[in-house]
Amino acid sequence: MSDDLKIVGLLCNWCCYGGADTAGTARMQYSPNIRIIRVMCSGRINPSMIFKAFQEGADGVFVGGCHIGDCHYDAGNYKWSRRSKIVEDILEEFGIEKERFRHEWISASEGEKFQRTMEEFHKTLTKLGPLELE
Amino acid sequence: MSYVLAKSQNNEILEAGECGGAVTSILKYLLDEGLVDGVLALSPQDDVYDAFPVFVTDSEDLLKTAGSYHCAPTMIGDLVQKYFIDKKVAFTVKPCDMRAVEELITRHKINRDNIYMIGLNCGGTVSPVSGRKMIDLFYEANPDDVVSEEIDKGQFIIELADGSEEAVKIHDLENEGYGRRNNCQRCDVKIPRKANIACGNWGAEDGWTFIEINDEKGQELIDGAKKAGILETKSPSDAAVEGRSKVENIMIKMAKKNQDATYPTVSEMTEWSRCISCYACRDVCPICWCFENCELNKPYFKDEANIPPVPIAFQGVRLSHMSFSCVDCGQCDDVCPMDIPVSLIFDKLQKKYYDRKKKQSYEVI
Repeated sequence: MSDDLKIVGLLCNWCCYGGADTAGTARMQYSPNIRIIRVMCSGRINPSMIFKAFQEGADGVFVGGCHIGDCHYDAGNYKWSRRSKIVEDILEEFGIEKERFRHEWISASEGEKFQRTMEEFHKTLTKLGPLELE
Repeated sequence: MSYVLAKSQNNEILEAGECGGAVTSILKYLLDEGLVDGVLALSPQDDVYDAFPVFVTDSEDLLKTAGSYHCAPTMIGDLVQKYFIDKKVAFTVKPCDMRAVEELITRHKINRDNIYMIGLNCGGTVSPVSGRKMIDLFYEANPDDVVSEEIDKGQFIIELADGSEEAVKIHDLENEGYGRRNNCQRCDVKIPRKANIACGNWGAEDGWTFIEINDEKGQELIDGAKKAGILETKSPSDAAVEGRSKVENIMIKMAKKNQDATYPTVSEMTEWSRCISCYACRDVCPICWCFENCELNKPYFKDEANIPPVPIAFQGVRLSHMSFSCVDCGQCDDVCPMDIPVSLIFDKLQKKYYDRKKKQSYEVI
């Protein structure tokens, strides 16, 4: 590993996790800093999970879900997108740049988008450097 | 939505109550007709600085709860959800109580069909301790001699046992750090428009209560009380309605000014560094309702070794749970042993969230 930036990725089972799988089977290259945690739906992710990740030493947190309208459970991703706004607002209050937190809709067939997103996110985090909590 | 002026037909209530005694009369009507199992109201204790919430089931006892108490900032919402979930109950609400009850209704913790909310217009509450100190310092009176207090026309007025009154401008008190509680100074909800009715003295003639009827249930309430012969009503003049909205607008303007002045000055990280992890702010919050299932008690967040706790794992979690529904009641400020302005930070974040929501109208990407 070229650096030790740690990215925690919370990926929805039905879309983004499939997307990461597609990227893998197609042998697309992206920086290997992400640690993937599979969740059943982006709608089950709480802001506190993101905070816990940062507390335990993550430098960035990525959340991936299905495109709006494609949620396996109808509206989980919609609920997550509402919740994500307050996460951004709160992170700023704690001196964590909101760029360290990113969420994206990636379907199971979009391996290429997953690769691109990871590369972009890694670049952003390299610029920001490791996270130092007060 | 319509306006009426109301006056109690019961002399005892008229004597004991504020303005026209309409609130106590309506509560009495509800109890006498058996529409509710009981009434939750504040009853004064040893002096005007102290009042307890009491559950009244006999309308004779209602008289003890009549009148207004600015020095007893108690929340009703969490009492209703904890103890009266399966009872039909009527209670009086300040705007922050109303917001708390509304939040709890959306979380299915209170059943709207079971409750009657009698709203009280509120210009702010005073903490009992600073209230006593303030009267000692700014008034020529002994805090123990005060028999009633009132906030009117920008003044904090006290009445002494001998009937004499003394008034000091609230603005002057607040400049010195006394007067209303900090959260009340920045509160911009003055009339509880989601309660069934909203009562108050703004715009009312002497001896009458000005009532804004907010929904059908409120209309039924007034009509019923009138039919039962406990309330007389008349419609207010246009000037009265205008006068009332003028008072409200001035109050809201003052609150906005206070918000603009206080939000930028708070520095969260310094404040959090005083936290001693006592969980008092969580326990007192009227809309925090997980109780023993609270996420902060889970092994993955419980961190008793660290004092102060890692802010993002304690306050961060609380903020993410409650800040967007914070009703700015200020209970957390009152109980914090380290005097952290908790509600200020929660309220600030809530405004930030709502402003952004308004701007972006939250279109999903």
